[in-house]
Amino acid sequence: MREDVEALFLRELSRLNSHLPKKRVTLREALQNPEVELADGGKHRFRRSELEFLKSLVPEEEWDSLRLPVLIELDPKLGRGAARIRGAAECRVVARILGKEEKPELILYLPEISELRGKLPTLTDYFLTA
Amino acid sequence: MTKAVSGISPTRMELIRLRQRIALAQKGHDLLEEKRDALMMEFLGLVRRIRELSKETFGRLSEAHRKLSYCMAWMGSAETLQATLESRKELKLEISTRFIMGVKVPMVEGVRTERNPVQRGYSLHTSSALLDETSAEFERALAQLCELAELSEAVRRIGLELERTRRRVNALEYILIPQLKSMAAFIAFRLDEMERDNFVRLKRIKAMLERREGGA
Repeated sequence: MREDVEALFLRELSRLNSHLPKKRVTLREALQNPEVELADGGKHRFRRSELEFLKSLVPEEEWDSLRLPVLIELDPKLGRGAARIRGAAECRVVARILGKEEKPELILYLPEISELRGKLPTLTDYFLTA
Repeated sequence: MTKAVSGISPTRMELIRLRQRIALAQKGHDLLEEKRDALMMEFLGLVRRIRELSKETFGRLSEAHRKLSYCMAWMGSAETLQATLESRKELKLEISTRFIMGVKVPMVEGVRTERNPVQRGYSLHTSSALLDETSAEFERALAQLCELAELSEAVRRIGLELERTRRRVNALEYILIPQLKSMAAFIAFRLDEMERDNFVRLKRIKAMLERREGGA
């Protein structure tokens, strides 16, 4: 019985990141085809209006380096309510949206995550890591 | 404690295995807690947006109904009804999906509800400009209703997932981890007991041997 419960939890944990894309796409690719295939076989569609917003924010030379969706990394080691953004282009664009200082790795807190998700709900995604 | 430890052999190997299981359960608990917090944030954000949008939509609908009353008074009920029967009623929507923490939610895009009087289909000769204004107001409200439907469905699905995750977190926090910990504590206690038993046994054997050597 106890093993069953544990097996259930292990299955649950193995599914935690199944909503992530198989392969992230660049902004240029997303502008042509605003859709990514997910690890669980589903399809996630980016909203056109958000892509247009991002397009206006990012200079064209960075369209090939910015990968979407931008991953908001939730790591229990950072403490509850904190998240990390990795990737130079991703950090630059998030810093610009939130009005933060640009760094190679950004740490965000709940109000900032909420603001970012409010502005880019389909272009950002949570990624759980331990 | 006896209930939690039934069927467990108090060995050092079992203790090591249990400690690994506790560490894994703890890690799982932390991750699910993160997931629950993120879902809660999404849920509250959506509820806030729904509240704002509902207020705006109902305001617009009441304005549309007010204009409809004026229109009916000006054109007559029968003529207004005739115009609504003549108008085109199809609405093209692009419905796709997006994922919020693994929760599939619908996404409505390309909602173009606003039309010009010619596209609406009713006769322009027999209708008044008031009817155009009323129609435009209803069309704007319809776009907002589509967004409201999308958000309501998203909030319903996220609510269900939130409830599921909350139950998992609580089960880990209040049942599985305490049970594993109590089992580990029991085994550690039994191993200590066995070590003390051995120690006493060895001391007694040593004393017996000394007594025997002294007697001889």
